[in-house]
Formats: sequence, C-alpha cells, structure tokens
Amino acid sequence: MADDAFAADERETLEAIRAGLDAVTTGIVLWAKDRTLSYFNLRFRRTFEFPIRIGMPFEEFVSVLANSRECLQPCAIGEWERTEAEQFGLEKDCDYVFADGHVVNMSQRPVEGGGMVVTLTDVTTIKRNERALREAKEAAEATDEAKSRFLRAANHDLRQPLASLKILIYNCIHEEDPEHRGDMLHAMDIAAAVMEDLLGALLQIGQLDAGRIQPRISTFQLRQLFERLDIQFRHQAEEKGLRLRFVETRSTITTDRALLERILSNFVANAVRFTEVGGIVVGCRRDGRSLRIEVADTGKGVREPERAVIFDEFYRSPDSRRGAGGGLGLGLNIVKRLAQLLEHPIGLTSREDRGSIFSISVPFGNVWHSDVGEAEITETVAGEFVGTPVLLVEDDDILRRTMRSLLERWGIEVFDAANEAEALRLIEGGAAPRLIIADYNLKARTGVDVVSAVRERAGRKIPAMIVTADAEPKVLEGIRAADIPVLVKPVSPPRLRVFMHNLLFEPSLVGGGQ
Amino acid sequence: MVPLTGPSAADGAEFRKGVILAIEEINVRGGLLGRRLEPVFADTCRQTAEEVVAAARWLIEKHDVHAIINGYNIGPQNSEYEPIADAGILYVHANTLLQHHDTVMNDPDRYFGCFMTDPADYWYGPGFIKFISWLRDTGQWTPESDRIAIVSGSKPYSIVIAHAMAAAAAGFGWRVCFGPRIVQTPTSQWRDVLDEVRATDPAVIANTHFYSGDLAHFQLQFMEKPTNSIVYLQYGAMHQSFSDIAQKKGVGVIVSTVIGLLRDDIGKRFAARYLARFGEGSTPQIGCQSYSAMHHYALAASLAGGSGGPGSFEQNRKVAQALKGSIYRSVNGIVRYHPEWQAAVPYPDVTHDPSLGLPHLFFQIQAERKPLALIAPDPFNTERFVKPPWMDRRAPTVVESGRRRS
Repeated sequence: MADDAFAADERETLEAIRAGLDAVTTGIVLWAKDRTLSYFNLRFRRTFEFPIRIGMPFEEFVSVLANSRECLQPCAIGEWERTEAEQFGLEKDCDYVFADGHVVNMSQRPVEGGGMVVTLTDVTTIKRNERALREAKEAAEATDEAKSRFLRAANHDLRQPLASLKILIYNCIHEEDPEHRGDMLHAMDIAAAVMEDLLGALLQIGQLDAGRIQPRISTFQLRQLFERLDIQFRHQAEEKGLRLRFVETRSTITTDRALLERILSNFVANAVRFTEVGGIVVGCRRDGRSLRIEVADTGKGVREPERAVIFDEFYRSPDSRRGAGGGLGLGLNIVKRLAQLLEHPIGLTSREDRGSIFSISVPFGNVWHSDVGEAEITETVAGEFVGTPVLLVEDDDILRRTMRSLLERWGIEVFDAANEAEALRLIEGGAAPRLIIADYNLKARTGVDVVSAVRERAGRKIPAMIVTADAEPKVLEGIRAADIPVLVKPVSPPRLRVFMHNLLFEPSLVGGGQ
Repeated sequence: MVPLTGPSAADGAEFRKGVILAIEEINVRGGLLGRRLEPVFADTCRQTAEEVVAAARWLIEKHDVHAIINGYNIGPQNSEYEPIADAGILYVHANTLLQHHDTVMNDPDRYFGCFMTDPADYWYGPGFIKFISWLRDTGQWTPESDRIAIVSGSKPYSIVIAHAMAAAAAGFGWRVCFGPRIVQTPTSQWRDVLDEVRATDPAVIANTHFYSGDLAHFQLQFMEKPTNSIVYLQYGAMHQSFSDIAQKKGVGVIVSTVIGLLRDDIGKRFAARYLARFGEGSTPQIGCQSYSAMHHYALAASLAGGSGGPGSFEQNRKVAQALKGSIYRSVNGIVRYHPEWQAAVPYPDVTHDPSLGLPHLFFQIQAERKPLALIAPDPFNTERFVKPPWMDRRAPTVVESGRRRS
C-alpha cells in the first residue's frame, strides 16, 4: 500500500511538474540517450506546425523541420541536417528565424547519462528592439555626418559665384562707362542668383544624404543653362587668361534643371581651377538616344590611377592638395551622387598633360514641352510698346510716379521730367524718345511749349500728346491748334493705350483727342 | 457685340450665328434653369474703341443684358471693360490680346467678370518658334540657316506676336535677321519690305499681320521671287478669301490659330449642325468661338444657380467663379481658365497635357480648294507637313571655291 501510495504521490508530483512545465513560455524538449524524443512541453509543440510524438527519432525531427521550411536555414538542407545530427548532445546556442518573422533562441545542453535538453525562447521583441536601436544610432550618425558634409559642401560650392562677385564688384568700382557698368551689375545680379540657387541646391544635398530628395523633371532648352554657366564662369576664366567657350546648341532635354546645372557647374569649376594654359570648351553631341554634354579642358589631365577614385568623397588630387586653389574634394562626389539620382551616366576621358573631358549623358526632350517661363508672361516681355522710349513731362510728383509705373508695366522705357529744363537735359543726355506725353499746366510753361522746345532740341518732330485736367473748350482748342492730340484727366489706361498706339504705329488714325 | 458691317463683317456674321445656334440648343433643353435665353446683337462696325464702348453701353443700359458673349473686337484695347465692370456683368470674348492679362491682373476685383475664351496673342510667338524647331529637330525640314525674318502689321495684336516671336527665337537656336518690321496696315504693297527680307536670306519668313486679303498679296509678291524659306502668315490665311486671291500660289503656306474647330467627331458633328442650320456658305470654323463661349457661360451660370443682370454683382461673382472652376470640353478643345489671367490656357504652349489646354493648331495649305491640312500638334494633327513647292522650284545652290552662289 505504501508503495502504491508513494507511486500515486510520485504520479501526482509528475503531473504537477508536467502541468507546471506546460504553463511556462519557454519550449522544453528532452531527447533520450538513444536519440528519441522522451518529453516535450506544450510551448514546444505549439512552436511547430508539424506533428510531434514521443519516441520520434532526432534525425526524423530534424528532417521534418528542415523540409517544413518553417525556419530559415543558414545553409543547404542536407548540410544543416548533417550538422544538427553531429552536434546532438553538445552544448550550443543559436537563433532560429521563423518564416513568420519570429526569432526563437535555441539553447541545447547535455544531460548527465546521455541525451540532451533543449529550450526554445521567443526573443522576437528583444531582437526587434535591438535592431531599432541600432538603426536609430546609425541614422543619428548619418545625420551628423550629413550636417558636417553639408557645411563643407556649402563652403566649397559658394566659392565660385562669390569669387565672380568679388571680381565684378572690384571692377565695377573703377568702371566709368555706364553701359559696361550696367553689364557688370547685371552679371552681379546673376551671380547672386546663382548663389541663392546653390544654397537651395545644397540644402537639397543635405536631403539627398537623408534620402529625401526627389528630382523635379522638366523639359527645357539646354542653351538657357549654358547662358547661366557662361555668366557664372566667364569672369573667373578671363582672370586666369583662359578661353571659355560654350558651343551653340539648340537641343531640348528632359531632366532636373537645377541638379544638372549643379553637375555642369562642378565640371566647369574644376576645369577652370585645374587649367593653367589654353581654355575650356563646353558642348554636346548626340549619343544614341541621349545627348552627351561635355566639358573639355586643356589642363594637366587626370592620371590613370586617379581616374577610378576621382569621383570619391573627399578625394583630392596631389596637385590640388599642394595648390592654394584646390577644393575639398566634394564637387565630383556631389556630381556622382546627383547623376546616380538622375540615372544619367557620367564619363571621364583624359590624357596626361593634354587635358580632360568630363561628360554627362541626358535624355532628349520634346521641344513642344520646352518650358518658356509661364510666370514671366507680361507686357514687359512682348507687349506692343516693349522697349519704346517715352518722355513723360508732369510736374505733380504723385501723378508722375503713377504714370511712370503704368507705362513701365507696359514695357515702356520711361524718361520722366518735372519741367521743361529737366526734359531738355534728358534730351541732351542722349535720351531719344519716340513719343512725348506732357501735362498741359506746367507752372511757368504749357505742355505745348515744352513739346515745341523738346522737338527743337531733338531736331525732329517727335510724336506727342497732351494730358490736361483743364477741360475748358478754349484750352482744348489751343492745344489742337498746335496739332497735338489731347486727353482729359483722369486718364483711362485703355484710352491712353489707344492714343499711344495710334501715335506710334498708325498715325493716320490719330484724331484731335477728346 | 459683333462687327456686322465693316472690314470684319464676314467673321462678325459667323460670331452671331455661333451664339444663335448655342442659344437654340440651350433653349430646346429647357433654357438656363428653366429660363429661356434671348440674344441681342449690337453692331460694332469698324470695331473702334468708340463703337465697341457704345455697343456695350447700349446692351447694358437699353437691354439689361446679363452677359456679353463675343468673338473678337480688335479696336477698343479693353476700353469696353469699363462699362462692363461698372455694371458687374459677365463678358466672354475671343479678343486674343495680351493686355487682357494686364487689365485683369491689376484689378481682379473690378474685372472679375471679364474672360478671354482663347489664349492671348502672345502665345502665337513661342508656339510658332516651337513649331519650326519641331520641324527642324524631327528632320521634317532642314533649314539652310538659323535666320528668321519677322514682318508685322500695325495693330497691337500683330506687334505683340512679332515681339513674342523675336523674344522666344534665340532660346530655341534661331536668330532674328530682319525685324520685327512694323508695316503700316492695311496694305497690299509688300514688295519693298520683301526685297529687304530676301536680302537677309532667311530660313523662315513670318508675317504677323492678319487681314486675309493683305496676306494673299504678300504671298503673291513673295512668289514673284521666292526664297528657300518657310512662310508663316498669321491667322487670316486660314480664310477662304486668302485662297481665293492667292490661289495655287498660296499652297505651302503655314498658318495657325490658338482657337479653332477640331476635326474629331465632336467637331464634325458641330460643323454638320451648323451647316444644316445656316447653309453651306457659312463657316463653322469661325462660329465655333462664340458657340463654345456661349455654352460654357450657360453651364457656369447653371452651376451658380442662375445669371444676374446689371448691378447683380453678388450673383455674377458666383457665375465668374463657376466659369473659372469648370473645365469645359468645347468643340475647339478644352477651355480651362487660368485663375489669374482669366484667359484660356493654351496647349502645348503652356500646359503639356492636351486635356488641360486649348490646342494651338498649325495648318498648312497643301492643295488649292481643299481644306487646310492640320499638321500639329499631336494628338490633334490629321496630316503631315509637306515641303512647300517653291523650295523645289529654286535654282540649285552652287558651291564654288568655298563661296556660295544661288
């Protein structure tokens, strides 16, 4: 009875242990010395989709598991099965990645007297957290690196237009010819615009590092880009005594305009920097379905071993490191990364001491889709009066300013004067108006007097009109007697437009006015 | 406001017919939200500022019109906008003038109701330059040089187009070798200016004057001694009266319009209805402008809950808003008003999407007494460009010791 009672107690205890082991979240399995399955708990059974039974041989279990494809095997199935069989009873730990993404840590330990116990612990959450932490750390490091790189690139790329600007400002101070000075101011304006664009583009580079940049593809005329580059680099090339030539092109291309400009600007900047004698030619040629844009220089060329690394980040040629004008080794790396983003092939051919040709191939565009600058469509571009010089004589400051602003909106080149003396000075100064618009009551003089005086000084009968707030019939008759048409204030813009048009282009339609 | 007398009376008659047909179609379907539409026509005669402004005043003050729907009036230079803006009614026209942009954009609140149902004249310039570049770049024509000669008439429309062509040329690899020369028009005497043009040996000759008779004489005088050039004649060369005068010497000429009847099923069905209503002698290619403007207005007024007469600013602002907001597929293609210009956006000059712009159509006269060939742009073209006959007729170029002689 005692034995029975003991056996019953033992059974109860075993049942309790079995129930307890079924409750734990770790899978447990016991393999006997003869390599058959002698125990497994509930968690272990639920880990696998295929049936498991007591007495199952270890090799069979391994084979079923391998062929079930539930786990990702690190090697071929047969090899994995062999390794597992060989390592039976040895101490080992490894992770199994299941097809549904779960990660299970397997811990195998030998049991005294033979056989082994294996535990399976779900470590999916731990592994996910580890990976998230690692990615966050890498992203933080990349952002930090990107910031540093951005600052270096900003310094590097802003130097080109800044150098142009400094030369232009210096030359402008000493320039007395107003026309030449005007040209230089225009070039300065372009250089400043280029800097502004560059800052925007560099910001994009920062975004490129962060993988956030999206090219904005449009269709446009390549010559527009050549014109901007010509203005950007002409003065620097001249300073070095180099010829810089952009070969005429009429090609239409489809790409990101700003990013392509950045690429070509880097090519030309390098060409100017590393060429001492001769010049630089920028041109293009058809290359199958693409257009290859080439920047050729007569510089020292790139040595054979350098050609493979010249597009690498921070790579600087030995000459560049020695000289004062070298960059930071970012320009061509930016080119490479931008070209990759745009999926445009870049190329380099070079002969030592003869020069280099850097190139990029871009897709041709449809000329119908070429951008003509929608935002700029106003009468200042192509209105009927565009560029027409007009002399405006009005003694009321506010009215003069208002009228000037209206006429300029129509694209007119306005010469304004408050009185006869100022008007005559303008004529003496070289103004050659095609039309005079004069107020009638000009303090000491009438508009008719001023028109006569201006015509006499200019030596020709310039078409003219009088505007007046004085609608007295006697005054109007007086003006018409001088054969000058008259408009009564307030002047309606459409009516002024009709008057001006007739005087300038269809004199036969000119009547006496209102 | 249509020119029923004077030099543009032929077009004016078609503009009138276009409005009549549209109103008849709308009324048959129950009118504008149940109210019948009734057209009133004012003759703008020679289309001077005085005549067009008087017409607008007469329509507003005498007839209390809710909207003025037109073809074009070339003379008033936007003077007519003033009485219309004062009355706060809708005005939809096809004046094709850049100055519409200037007027509307500088006081959008006052000119809320003024709409141009076609793109501005300006677009003829870059559109034409793109057209000849397309011929060149696709190998349909190999120009002897990059030179363009531009002759303009003396109306603002012609001058603006000439300036716009000149402004766009260099960007596409062309060089203006002559002009823009503004010639006093109307005129039938072009020999002097043509002599000057020939001396510059241009690859392209463009005349932006638009009276069909004057252009026919230009072409006849060009053919007295043709050069190896593409000849482009503005709008008027589309008219039958051009071919009546130029006859077979007009064959080869290029002409374009920023608003024209399409040759698809929609366009053909409209043309058939138009001819059935007004007879074989009528021209649906012109009447289509006011026809589509009328339908678009009625659609917008319906969306806005009805039209408003003079003084009904609040209701008419709703109509204007609906006009801007509704993209309308007319018999001429898509009318989509630019939110600031209040003018139709052209395809492909501005938008690259044919479902969002009114097609700028390029034609070539390819045979006497046959309809013009519609050669661009895709997908509206139905024929291909053909080398003009005068190019073949010229004596071959002789190259001798590096010097060229013709």
